[in-house]
Order: sequence, then C-alpha cells, then structure tokens
Amino acid sequence: MNENMTRKGFVALTGATSLAAFLAACGGSSSDSGSSAAGSGDAQADGITAEESAAASTFDPASEPGGPIEIFTWAGYDDSPKDGLPIMWEQYQKGEYNSASPLKFTFLEDDQQALAKVASGYAPDIIHPCIAYTQQWKDAGLIQPLALDLLPDWAGIPEAVKAGGVIDGVAYHMPFDVGFSCLTYDADVINFDKVGGEESWEVLLDDTFKGRMALFSDDVAIIKIGHLINKGAVDPNVMTQEEIDAAKATALKIKPNLRNYWTSQTDTVNDFVNGNLDATYTWPDGYWKIKNHPKMKDRNIKYMQPTQGRLAWVCGMVLSAATKQPGRASMAMASADTPVAAAALTDLFQYAAGQQNGVMDLIKDKALVKAFQIDDPTAWAPPNAWFEAPLPNYKDFVSAGEEVKSA
Amino acid sequence: MAAIAETPTPPAPKRRRSRRETRNDGGSALSTYGLLAPMLIVLSLFFLAPLYYIFLFSVALKRFSPTDALASLNGELNAFSGELWTKLVSVDVKVMLPGLNFDVPVIVVGIVFVVLLLVAVTASRIPEYGSWIVGVAFVLLLAPFLTFPAGNNLVRLVELSSEGQYMRLFFKSVSMAMTSSVAAVLIAIPVAYFLAFCIGKSKYTWLLIVIAPFLTSYLLRVFAWKVILGDQGLINSGLTAIGVIDQPLTFLIYSQFTVIVVLTYAWVPFICLPIFLSFETIDRRLLEAAMDLGATRMQAFRKISLPIIAPGIVAAFLFVFIPSIGEYITPTLVGGTQGTMYGQSLANQFVGGAFNWQFGSAMALFLLGVVLLLTFATARFLRAGGGGL
Repeated sequence: MNENMTRKGFVALTGATSLAAFLAACGGSSSDSGSSAAGSGDAQADGITAEESAAASTFDPASEPGGPIEIFTWAGYDDSPKDGLPIMWEQYQKGEYNSASPLKFTFLEDDQQALAKVASGYAPDIIHPCIAYTQQWKDAGLIQPLALDLLPDWAGIPEAVKAGGVIDGVAYHMPFDVGFSCLTYDADVINFDKVGGEESWEVLLDDTFKGRMALFSDDVAIIKIGHLINKGAVDPNVMTQEEIDAAKATALKIKPNLRNYWTSQTDTVNDFVNGNLDATYTWPDGYWKIKNHPKMKDRNIKYMQPTQGRLAWVCGMVLSAATKQPGRASMAMASADTPVAAAALTDLFQYAAGQQNGVMDLIKDKALVKAFQIDDPTAWAPPNAWFEAPLPNYKDFVSAGEEVKSA
Repeated sequence: MAAIAETPTPPAPKRRRSRRETRNDGGSALSTYGLLAPMLIVLSLFFLAPLYYIFLFSVALKRFSPTDALASLNGELNAFSGELWTKLVSVDVKVMLPGLNFDVPVIVVGIVFVVLLLVAVTASRIPEYGSWIVGVAFVLLLAPFLTFPAGNNLVRLVELSSEGQYMRLFFKSVSMAMTSSVAAVLIAIPVAYFLAFCIGKSKYTWLLIVIAPFLTSYLLRVFAWKVILGDQGLINSGLTAIGVIDQPLTFLIYSQFTVIVVLTYAWVPFICLPIFLSFETIDRRLLEAAMDLGATRMQAFRKISLPIIAPGIVAAFLFVFIPSIGEYITPTLVGGTQGTMYGQSLANQFVGGAFNWQFGSAMALFLLGVVLLLTFATARFLRAGGGGL
C-alpha cells in the first residue's frame, strides 16, 4: 500500500479519516443535544401544570450534586461587598451549601442578548431577565417553575408586581429590581424652561444638542421612545405595524443627533462626566452616579420626567430548565428576596425592589426614597411611567430597532 | 550534423528498482504527507464542518433550535424557500456618480465587480497595455469605496434602497475596510522601506519595536484611541489649548472616521512585516545600477522596488481587508451611531436581539463567499507575478 500511495490517495485517506472523526463527533453531539432537548422537553411536559407547580417544591438541596451555581445577571450584581453594607446574596453565602455550591456570576448586556445566548446553549442556573420577557423564556423551554416553598419571602412581593411572571397560574419569575429608564441631563445646558418648561422625549430631536446625547442600544427601547414622541403619553407596549414604522421613522430622525447607542451604562456615565454628553438614557443608578460624581458637583443634573412618561421595568430571577441544582439555586434566589437584600438594592443601586415587606424602614438613605419616589405609587403608574409588558409583535420591534441602528 | 541531430536518442535502459528503494520512496511520501495530516484534520473539523452546518442553516435544510417553541421564537424556516437569501441580496443599489444617479440590481453590481476583478488579475498577459489595464481595473475596484474623513466621496456607491439594510451595511463595511486597508498599506510602505534601507544592523530590533503594539491586547489599543480622540482627549484638548478650535471636533470619536483610524492603526504594525520582507528581497545592486544610470530615488523605487514588492503589498492589503470587513469589536466600541458594520449585524443574528441563526448563517456565507473570491483573485494576481506592475 505504501508503495502505491499517491498525493491524491493520501489526501483522500486523510479526508476520509477526518470525515469519519467528524461524523463520530456529530453523532455524539447530536445524540447529546437530542437527549438534552428531549430532557428539557420532558421536564416541561412533566412539570409545568398549574396543579403540579403549586406542589412543585420537590427539590431536595441536600441531595444535589454540588458545583458552582452560575448566575447570569446584570453587571454590578455580583457578590462584591460595597461600603460594608449587606449584599443580596449574603444569606446564601453564610448558608450550608455555599462551600459545595458557591455562587458564580456572569453578566448579560440586555434581555435580547441573554435570551439568544441561553437559547444557543449557554446553561446558567439562575438568569436575571426582565419580567416582560418571561413568556418568551417559558415558550422557549428555557426556564422552569419556581420552587415557592424555598422562597420564604415570596409573599412580600405584591401580587401586582409579580403578576407578569405568572403564566397559567404558575410562577416563573421572582421580581427583584424595579426601576425607571429615562434621560439624565444637564439642566444647565438643556433648559426646558425655554420650551414651555415641560420635559419631553422630544429633546432628542433637537439638533442643538447634536452629538451630545446617547441612547441605550436596546432595539425595543429605541422604538418605544419614537412612539412616545409620536403619540404622547400612550402605552408604548401596544403598537400596530404602522405605528412601529412611524416610530422607526422618528428614531431615524433622532439618530443623527446621537453620539452613540451605548451597550454599557458605565461607558455612558463616563462619557457624561467627562463632558462628552449633555443627555443620556440611564437607569436610576446611572443618574445617581452622574449626579454625585465630583466632576458634576457644579452642574445641575436632572433625571427627566417627560410629559409622555418614563419607561420602567421589573427584572428578576428565573430558574433555568437546565440547572442540575434547582434546590440550591432556589435558595440563592431566596437570599436575594429578603427585605434586607431589597433595602440594599435601593441603598447600593438606587432601585426599588420587588420585595416590599418592611423594606422602607430598612433603607438607610431616605433621600433615595424621595429622589426616586419609591414610596409614591403614582410615579410608577401610567401616564408617569410605562412598565415593560410582553410584546406579541416583539420581532417587529426588534427588526425596526435593528434597521434604525444599521441605517 | 543534421543526420546526427535527427537520430533519435535511445531510451535509457530501465533499471529495476530495488524493494528497498521503493519502500524508501513510499516512506518518504508518507512522511511528507504526514506533515500535512494534522492541518487537514484540523481544517476539516474546525473549518469545513462548521461551514457545512452554516450552509445547511442558511438554506433552511437544518434547524438550529432543538424545540419547536424555540424555533418559532428564533424565526427559523422549516424548508428552503430562498427567503433568507432574497432578503439579503435582492435589492437595488443606488449608484451615484457626478451628475448621474441610477438604480441597478445588486446582482449586476456583483457581476461588474467580479469582471473587474478578473480583468485585474489576468490583464497583465496582454502585451504592451497590460499593466495599464490592471491599474485601471484596480482603480475602478477601489474608487467607489474609498471614504474620506469627513464623509466626502469621490465616486461612490452611497445608498441602497430602503429594504436593503443588510446590503447597505455590507457596502458600508467594504468601504470602511477598503479605506483602512489602503491607509494602512500607505503608512506601512515608507516604514518598511525605512527599516529595510535606512537602518543598518539594528533593523530587526527596530522591526520588533514597530510590531510591538501588535503584541498587546487589541481591546487596550482600541480603548487608547478613546482617550486620544475623545472630546476631552489629547487632540481636542491640544487644539483647544492652542486656540485652533473652541468646540471639540465631534467627528473624531464615535464615527466612521474613528473606526477607520483605529483599524488602520491596529493593522499597520502587522503588515509592516510582509512589506519589509519584500523590500529585503530586492537586490541592492539593481538600485545602485539605476542610480548610476541617472535614475532619481523615486524613479528607482517606481521602476525597480515597486514591481518587486507588489506581491507583498497586495498580501498586506488583504491581511487588513479580510479581518476588517467583518469587524465587530472596533465599531462596537468606537463606531457610534454612524460606524455600524456588517459584522455587528451578523453577530446580532446569533447573540443579539435579531436572534435568527438562519439569516445569520446566510449573512456569514455571503461574507465568506466575498472573502474567498478576493483570496482567489489575489492568489491569481500573485501567481501572475504581481500583475506585471
């Protein structure tokens, strides 16, 4: 055989070997993924009826295999202690399972990216999406019902807040952080008094501030803002295709005035305090960081309350369908649901919390309660704020937002 | 003599090869090809196999999602319908020439560019005017895409129809990649020339210094430019301090210009190497002879050095162009609203809001096809001796 080996023959032989190895690998992998998919499908089919969910707390943390509990969350919610204040994961970390199943944090950029990443095979134990996306997570078979008996403070979350995470009577989402999304701006530069004194999203169309404003790169938010500008204080979660197209057209008009669509709030905060921006879309903590930054001490920094209403969100924890430690992961979620953790959420991140049982008394910095109207329900209701809600035409929002960004 | 010349040469007597010689030949062949085996296996597993899957996804012959619910969310098609490809390429290109605007199907633009590319790589065989034709073909290939800092263009395809957002993004990316590649090559040539001819023994030390930035983290290098080009950065602060400007130059950061500058900077150190090596192959005596015969330095460079280093320049151009056209990190970090590139949109199909693996696969295959075409054309060009420049 050696005697007659030609280059062509050798390449063919090598190719055949590679092909065989590849097919073997594919065979293994497809059977793996097949069984995994089937497994999750079975888990869904077996465990997701309302009746069973009520008694779905059959997880036994003691018998679980151990290993890190991976939490796929927003940057900043890791376990670094801040200012000596208690942190949201402290209860779990002081518990008996922390050494065998320590918490490990990975960070997401936005809901869409998180969903795409987990759907593509990434398998954390706990995920931190916003409540409006619960249906999509559930439909995709990526999450499982919560083990309510392992969440002792569950009753402290108002029914209205957790309603969006309950599907067919089964709870899938544990509300954790609640906040606004709006423009932080320098009132010394952007003076709404000159245009009637009313703050408005329309400032984004003002080319006086061209290149001095920024928005979050979230496709849905880009379109919702366009809609609020077009229609005023109406629910931006309910839009027809014509309205989406009109909102897209408005967003395209806004685009030339923007410096960038940011993907990291830290970046936009830095841009603002370094004098590169006069207005940027932030969450409450971003506003607070800018307002209290030493470089901004002589500036009049405000968090806009537009006539069309702020955007608002409820985010929280869901239990991955793929977790091998659902009991311990649930216990980690429980530690973030305590009143102490909820108060820390306001003190450390300037957000309101899903958990509200006795939280107001535990918040150390009462100025934050006033600044963000945490104790004022009207500030958190339409037309002052529009909470995210499930979008039946979500893909149309995303497609329009993408078109704006790539134009 | 003629008779002798016509006498056929007797065939050399066949000598039977010994078994040992044959075995040695076989062994030698095996060991030679054996060196290739790891590469072929790696190529099959890590390039051809993913490519195969991307192809299947792109024509909807295979679904990515393991469940129907996920496939529905993902927007995956169940069977090939051409829909994905239609969405990508069935658009008109608005060609804007001075005083002349017209629309043509994208496929026509593609054919024109393939023809120009073929002319560029084969025309050198044409006697007398070959090199001129090659030059004109290259200019026609490059000119539509060259972008200038403030966004001014000479002759350029500037707009696509509204439904062609991906193709528009592709052309924009080609334009940005092309501009940064040309700029990088133009910067690298004098640097490499200086290293090869103007420095003595220490040239390799200097070469190492030149390519040193390439050895640091790419992210760091991109972020460094944010410090330099920012509104309060080195350039704006400096110009403000000396009274040239009173407001920061906003186009310096978060713009197409920024992306082009960063890409150019990022690749210059890398491409200095092939161009330097091309200069090193030049026989110095040829240059000396040219000078002795009265040629100026520039004439000597144009008539002797340039044809010799042409393959190195083309290779260097391609080294920059291919990774730049699919860039993701640089436009994400410094691109702003105007510097979005095809690679970002492609990534968004897989790990972003668009969440459509099938369409992402079609986009990836399209990009790969363009890159393969360019690579093939370049290989032909180099094989033809650099186009006879």
